[in-house]
Amino acid sequence: MEVSALSGNLCSFFAAASCKVVRRCSHQHGTKVLQVYLPIAELSVNLFFLVGIGGAVGFLSGLFGVGGGFLLTPLLIFSGVPAPVAVASVTGQVVAASTSGALAHYRRGAIDLHLAMYLVLSGVLGAFGGVAMFALLRDAGQLDLVISAGFLVLLGSVGTLMLIESTRAILKQRKGIVVRERLPNQHSWIHGLPLRVRFKKSRLYISVLPVLLIGLFIGFVGSLLGIGGGFIMVPALVYLLRVPGNVVIGTSLAQVVAMMAATTVLHAVQSQSVDILLAFCLMVGGTAGAQFGASAGKYLRGEQLRGLLALLVLAVAIRFGLSLVLAPADAFSMAVVGATQ
Amino acid sequence: MRALVALLSLLFALTAPAQAERLVSQLSNESVEITSSFDGERMTFFGTIAPDAGSEDKFVEGPFHVVVVVIGPTQNRVAREKTNFFGVWLNSGQVEFTNFPSYFHVLSSGRLSEIADITTLTTNSILPESHTLVVDGADWWNGAIFGRELVRLMTEQGLFGVQENGVNFLSENVYSARLTLPSNAPPGPYLALTYVFKNGEIITRKSEGFAVRKIGFERFLALSAVQQPLLYGLVCVVLALFTGWAGGVLFRR
Repeated sequence: MEVSALSGNLCSFFAAASCKVVRRCSHQHGTKVLQVYLPIAELSVNLFFLVGIGGAVGFLSGLFGVGGGFLLTPLLIFSGVPAPVAVASVTGQVVAASTSGALAHYRRGAIDLHLAMYLVLSGVLGAFGGVAMFALLRDAGQLDLVISAGFLVLLGSVGTLMLIESTRAILKQRKGIVVRERLPNQHSWIHGLPLRVRFKKSRLYISVLPVLLIGLFIGFVGSLLGIGGGFIMVPALVYLLRVPGNVVIGTSLAQVVAMMAATTVLHAVQSQSVDILLAFCLMVGGTAGAQFGASAGKYLRGEQLRGLLALLVLAVAIRFGLSLVLAPADAFSMAVVGATQ
Repeated sequence: MRALVALLSLLFALTAPAQAERLVSQLSNESVEITSSFDGERMTFFGTIAPDAGSEDKFVEGPFHVVVVVIGPTQNRVAREKTNFFGVWLNSGQVEFTNFPSYFHVLSSGRLSEIADITTLTTNSILPESHTLVVDGADWWNGAIFGRELVRLMTEQGLFGVQENGVNFLSENVYSARLTLPSNAPPGPYLALTYVFKNGEIITRKSEGFAVRKIGFERFLALSAVQQPLLYGLVCVVLALFTGWAGGVLFRR
């Protein structure tokens, strides 16, 4: 339960009311309103709460086209689910949430499978490293520190960049200036690297080294922090590799599905902490919410969406930052080491 | 754990002095079954203090005090403390407690401090703090501080507790005690130790075991996660892919 302190802060920020209801239900034995017992997490949680947060996060993920793991994992930990179970089960949920989007893009032919394959292969390698690092940090008792700092740096920098970019775009549009997209054939030092491969769908002829490096990094960070990494992948593909806009989202989604599927199996084999019942409840809520989110997204323009997502990402980053700096409500915490039954 | 039970009962048999009283006790259920709607379970402990089979007394003379101690399966647990290090709060100290009970509740018929002295209570592991005395890799001072905090954290989770009015005497020598196992009670073998006190001394005791276990679908899931982890993970992925696909089909207009 290493992450409980910081997630507590995070959740009180986002869903204080709903979380409190659950806590009360799980402690009072008179209110047996559809409690479901989770066999791996070994506790019972309200079914409506699980489907509800799955749906709410799914709505956001459909709206913004991100996996939503960075919101869901802390929410689960706060409602009492042990951190390893929450991280492992959310990876399963991210697979489901990204599948329908990936399929839709595949039908439109908006996925560069060749590029995705390279990203997935290196991503799985990175995931191995991330899972090993996770165990190492957990034993040292510094997992919550690294997760807080990691989220702060990652979400903070990505959020700030996105906010600046989208504000600029919105202001320019207000003034009536036609926004010129960056051209995909603009070259940088990245394109001068060796081992070049032709990616037909993306109309790219670039070195595989940066592709593999991006995949490795996202696999590592994703499995360590329990996130899909779509919000890092999309800017990396756009700004570093100059992948054209029509295949960016599809390729990113395909990569998230494949890499998170591999991570789920990895967690199931290594830590045996995937709770299939928990994951399924979240999946049902998540896929339903994602559909509504996607249709709601049509009423907003691209830069507005990016601006809102930037604000959300920044808000999470600030909460993580505060949890590092502010005095914790309880200086002491506990954890079970080694599974002994 | 089974070995521990055997060892404990052997110890009791060896240490039990010649007594005039014996304890006849019973649990309301020998196993607590965790189903999909498991939300805790209420248990009742009851018994009678009777004259020992070999003794010549026809009656037992009180007043008696009864303490029921319920101990869950043991785990290794660490308590950690956060301190401020150049403006950043991080875990700076930790103490590991090996074979620490995952569940520990004490029910008694009166104030523990009035039933017996602290030495008797501690040596028989009746106080929650007595489980924190064995510490790995730390001095006793840190062990005491972290142990107290660990007991507090466990109490906040409802896993530790002391109810000093938990045992009711129905007559002078018949008692009953009620305990509600919370929904987060860890599965595994449990021990219920019943002590009968008279004038601050333990005059008789008895230990009974019961199990908290998953049954049916929950048991199947928990077992397959451990026995067939690869298959379990693959099924989870297939389920995720199917749910994602079905969601896309169902909600497409």
